[in-house]
Amino acid sequence: MFKYLFAKNEDIPAGSAAVFFGFSAIVWFVIGTGLGSFNAAKLAFPDFVTGNMYFAFGHMRQVHVHAVIFGWISMAFAMAMMYIAPALGNNKLWSEKLGLWNCMFWNVGLALGLTVLWAGITSGREYSDFPWPIDLYLAVFVFIPLALNVWMTVLNRKTQGIYTTNWFFIASLFMVIIVFLVGNSPEFFHLSGLTEAYLTWWFAHNVLGLWITPVAAAIAYYTVPKVTGNPLYSHRIGHLHFWSVVVFYSTPAAHHLMSAPLPEWLKSFASVEGVLILVPAIAFVSNIMLTMKGKWYMFVENIEIRFTITGCLMAIPLNMQGGFQQTRAINWYIHGTGWIVAHAHLALLGFSTFLEGAAVYLGLQTIMRRKLYSLTLANMHFWLLLIGFTIYWVSMTIAGLIQGAGKIYEVPYIDVVIAEHPYMIARWIGGTLVFVGNVLWLYNMWMTARKGTEVPVGRMPHELSYER
Amino acid sequence: MAWNFDKPLITLCDAATNEADKVLWEKEDLGTITEDNNRMPIPVVMLVFLTVLTAFAITFPLWGQRPTASLYVGYVKAMNMPEVAAIQDDDAAMKKIEELGSAGVDKEKLDRHPVSMNDLRIIKPQIEALMAKGVNLEEYTVVGDQVVLSNFEGNKKADGTTERIQPWWDVGYTVDIFYVIYFFTMVTVLIKRLPPSSWQPRHHK
Repeated sequence: MFKYLFAKNEDIPAGSAAVFFGFSAIVWFVIGTGLGSFNAAKLAFPDFVTGNMYFAFGHMRQVHVHAVIFGWISMAFAMAMMYIAPALGNNKLWSEKLGLWNCMFWNVGLALGLTVLWAGITSGREYSDFPWPIDLYLAVFVFIPLALNVWMTVLNRKTQGIYTTNWFFIASLFMVIIVFLVGNSPEFFHLSGLTEAYLTWWFAHNVLGLWITPVAAAIAYYTVPKVTGNPLYSHRIGHLHFWSVVVFYSTPAAHHLMSAPLPEWLKSFASVEGVLILVPAIAFVSNIMLTMKGKWYMFVENIEIRFTITGCLMAIPLNMQGGFQQTRAINWYIHGTGWIVAHAHLALLGFSTFLEGAAVYLGLQTIMRRKLYSLTLANMHFWLLLIGFTIYWVSMTIAGLIQGAGKIYEVPYIDVVIAEHPYMIARWIGGTLVFVGNVLWLYNMWMTARKGTEVPVGRMPHELSYER
Repeated sequence: MAWNFDKPLITLCDAATNEADKVLWEKEDLGTITEDNNRMPIPVVMLVFLTVLTAFAITFPLWGQRPTASLYVGYVKAMNMPEVAAIQDDDAAMKKIEELGSAGVDKEKLDRHPVSMNDLRIIKPQIEALMAKGVNLEEYTVVGDQVVLSNFEGNKKADGTTERIQPWWDVGYTVDIFYVIYFFTMVTVLIKRLPPSSWQPRHHK
């Protein structure tokens, strides 16, 4: 892969950047979930690895969160964009060379960022914990080059129209750059107090709402029609979904600060908008489910569809929780508890990971023209991910409710810690299952690249039967 | 791109634009992916409608609020009545207090924030002290065994103090109403610029 960094653009095989991004994403997923399992072990067994500050939970947690968001999720998005955007425009990626350099700078910057976080150099602002030089680096060397490559690919398309998936790609890239630069402005301009608090949560809310959620959904809009061969059920519902994400997901940031002394009208406004997040969710889930008509057997037989539809189904509890947990009636109880941790994992490890997983499975096989090495390993990956995530989500939701009760009824903190202990062990077991599944996945995709059966020209990988 | 307002609920395009759109829709190859022109199913439309109503109804600060001190004024006054003072059993006394002291108070609010005789014995002197000061008891909330100034901070009043009573409606909801109306109007216009949903592209037949 590195030999192409200095090659002429026309000499670089199509899809090289996507393959580089795809494998990078899986490696970061393994690292991120490995760190997650380690951190969970520290909560389950307080005497596990003590005496060294670099392995303290406070150092390690931010590394886990950022490895997963900016390593796994965002690089899987980049991978999907680099092969789906040209596929939908019947053209090639604008610049494979830019894509390769983009991926290299991304890996270097992320490794650097995680190292400084690990060393304890942090802005201390959740989800935007990187210090400001790393933030600027990510904007200039990660998101802007990615956006340029995808936008130029869409601009140079050989079709008149633009398919729904590409609407989301081009808009999300625009929005994430704005979110990154404005959301980190407290660090650039030394803003403090309520302004800093608001902008921190404006960033955290929108990096989910205007980057992770829409791009994950965009992937499903491609994967399901592509693999099933069915037309997308409704172009019209696609419009409703797209514009409701832009309008309703960009506005409710204040609902993360319902107890802060923000203007009360802003909280009321944000709270209503928070429930209206259900509008794009309803549009998305209904459109994808109806597209599956007549092809539901593929939910069992096809690994990409199984991942996609599972992620899609998780959008239902995700948005039911997200819509209602921010209302005053519920927020006072669950705010600051493990419930929120469970919800965040439902969004990132449930909903979006399953959709991205499908994109990486499909994309790597398609670009490398290699059939998946082992269906058995892929099935194990799916079930370890699903069972591990479910154990994690359920245990942390229960732990959150216990913490909420403890908070409201002023139960001594140590009693709450003791009550939560079994759920912390369950959390560690769930997280570890996910990590093990990802190790298998990395092996499976590596073997696919090396020993997967070649897919004949003109055929799709899912049209061939599995061999193992 | 001409507009046609003859049948705004069917299409906002003229026949020529619709025909051109249909031709493009059927001939265009978007990486082998195709799209249908189905309308949103009625149950899903109803679900979206219900979501909008729920978004307003569920977010009012009426829900999840702590009880105000004024909620228990009737109970506190009832505790001083001879017929209550004469009852030795706490449960029976509480029943009598509920009977005598709940007049003019929102029954549902009292049901959401029940108190026992022991709770009342603790908060009674605090509420009576505030009544003696002549303050607005709506501005005080009962938190466990404490009666405290509400943590809600609204606008400044004419006397320079801060508004402590949270309104059930504020300008945020008004902004939301306009925002939602603008959104659905624009999306409807956008969708009605497509060929009518009675037409489906032939690629799927």
